[in-house]
Amino acid sequence: MQPGQLAIDFHAILPEIITVLAAVLIMMIDAFTRRINRRVAGAVALVGLAGAAAAVVSLWGGKVESSFSGMIVTDDFRLFFAMIFIIVTFLIVLISLRWVEDEELPTGEYFMLLMFATTGMLLMSAANDLVMIFLGLETTSIATYVLCGYRRRDLRSNESAVKYFILGSFSTAFLLYGIAFIYGASYDPNLSPVATTNLQLLKERLASDQLFSGPMLLAGAAMMLVGFGFKVATAPFHIWSPDVYEGAPTPVTAFLSTGSKAAAFASFSRVFILTFFAAAPVASGMTDSAVSALREVSTNALMVMAILTMTIGNLVAIVQNNVKRMLAYSSIAHAGYALVGMVAGDWRAVAFYLLSYVVINIGAFAVIEVIARRGDKRTEIADYSGIGFQTLGLAAALSLFLLSLAGIPLTAGFMAKLLVFKSAWAAGFHVLVVIGVINSAISWYYYLRVIVAMFFREPATGFQRPVLARSLVAGLVLAILGTLYLGILPGRVLDALEKASDIMTTAARR
Amino acid sequence: MIQMMAILLQAQSRPPAAQSDAPIFGYIPIIIFFLIAVLLPVVLLGVSRLLHRRVFEREKLMPYECGIDPIGDARERFSVRFYIVAMLFLVFDVEVVFLFPWAVIYDKLALFGLVEMLIFIGILVVGYYYAWRKGALEWA
Repeated sequence: MQPGQLAIDFHAILPEIITVLAAVLIMMIDAFTRRINRRVAGAVALVGLAGAAAAVVSLWGGKVESSFSGMIVTDDFRLFFAMIFIIVTFLIVLISLRWVEDEELPTGEYFMLLMFATTGMLLMSAANDLVMIFLGLETTSIATYVLCGYRRRDLRSNESAVKYFILGSFSTAFLLYGIAFIYGASYDPNLSPVATTNLQLLKERLASDQLFSGPMLLAGAAMMLVGFGFKVATAPFHIWSPDVYEGAPTPVTAFLSTGSKAAAFASFSRVFILTFFAAAPVASGMTDSAVSALREVSTNALMVMAILTMTIGNLVAIVQNNVKRMLAYSSIAHAGYALVGMVAGDWRAVAFYLLSYVVINIGAFAVIEVIARRGDKRTEIADYSGIGFQTLGLAAALSLFLLSLAGIPLTAGFMAKLLVFKSAWAAGFHVLVVIGVINSAISWYYYLRVIVAMFFREPATGFQRPVLARSLVAGLVLAILGTLYLGILPGRVLDALEKASDIMTTAARR
Repeated sequence: MIQMMAILLQAQSRPPAAQSDAPIFGYIPIIIFFLIAVLLPVVLLGVSRLLHRRVFEREKLMPYECGIDPIGDARERFSVRFYIVAMLFLVFDVEVVFLFPWAVIYDKLALFGLVEMLIFIGILVVGYYYAWRKGALEWA
């Protein structure tokens, strides 16, 4: 338990080991056979993900402990997020199995990069040290930079990759600088180690108010807020996301808007909710300490970010004519709703929100991918006119996903918003909830716009019924079932979340 | 320069004495170092600018290309395959960086260290083999 010990525990990182092995295996088969079969690559990826899921289940509910010199922590917080990432990649593999071949893109590398990105995401939720968070973030980011530019001969794809790379590295620099500041702020010559990036040690030092410098802590937290804010695409750090999402190949966009966003939220919650907020309970009498100042300032900053993100995301989405761009802004707005949960300091609501969001959003992008055809040619809303009765199944599925994103009852989107707003209301952020609900109403307009175009407009010319691959249908069906299951019978998931342990609950129990 | 570095390193390794003796003073050598680094080229370039004799001949104004007369235009397309070399260099360079500390205390790490290192090298060999089979080493 003590971060000083080495504590090598391979069971604790079994999910990560399995995903890495799957990635390396895909790479090796690709190298041996010169050109890997898409079925083989996909099968290895899916088996690897299933293995990782089994490893997560085997760890679930166990003792909360940290291993590898305090770098990795195993609590249910980590495992729940790990499950979200595994679901994301599983669905993405399903919806892109046929797509990679149709686009004539290198198959092996695609699945390999997906698996490496997943490993990075798993590490981000498992990290118990700021340096480990950075490492996981970079593993994810570098794989996704490449995936964005995966359609090598497409200018839009290139633009997307370059923009993502430059702005991504810039924001990572902010995060790192923030980490450096926090490391400095934790300096105490009487303790060993003298300064730390370990989150548990950091929390202890914050709680006992043994800090080298309060302003340094605030500066570090502000920098980290910028870094994470960029990664989850919150206003005012959201400018990159519409361009990147529009240009990237559609399954990659789906991956970016769900997987890497959820991973960034995992680290974001780990640092802000489970470390900074946990170190300064509101009820405590300390009013002048640096820690309570940190809590107050970062709650206010998060609140402003949440309001800006929801409002900008929804308002700008209204005027978009490209479906991918519209969903990019919608994704920004959804990051805003998840931030509402962060403001309330309730990671369970955030986790449930992200779980619902990834299932719905991947489903929506799967339909868009099929309708866009080769080279992402048909992504304008005009291309969707009147296709409703020509391909009823797809149009109905897309309508379900869009309605769920808007938050119609009986779907996952409603439950997710309900939970987030409930916990924010309970924590006393009433204005925030009101703004969130108003925004949710605004979002109906642009989601319904696509549905109206599909069912009540004259058919667009040149639309051919797409041929659906079996793997894609499987992915779609899973997404639909997930959307309905989380909306109608969320009890089991909520129950699991309610019982889920994290570093905070264990400390309270002791 | 080396002395400068040595002073700098010593200054850093000395622990800050007390809370009032803020660690910012530890950075004074760095500031001095930075000033010298800025001043040196400025002075050198300035002095040569003041002292040199100006000759403008045709040969003098030609682009310099290893001493021979330049052939063709400078704006020519060429294959940028250096990046592959750079990447492979990175693979093996980083490998050595990790091998050194292991070699120093390998008797203390015993079998565990050996297995760990074999896994590490194994991962790099996979990368190397992949680059090789994908034709990254074919020069054309």
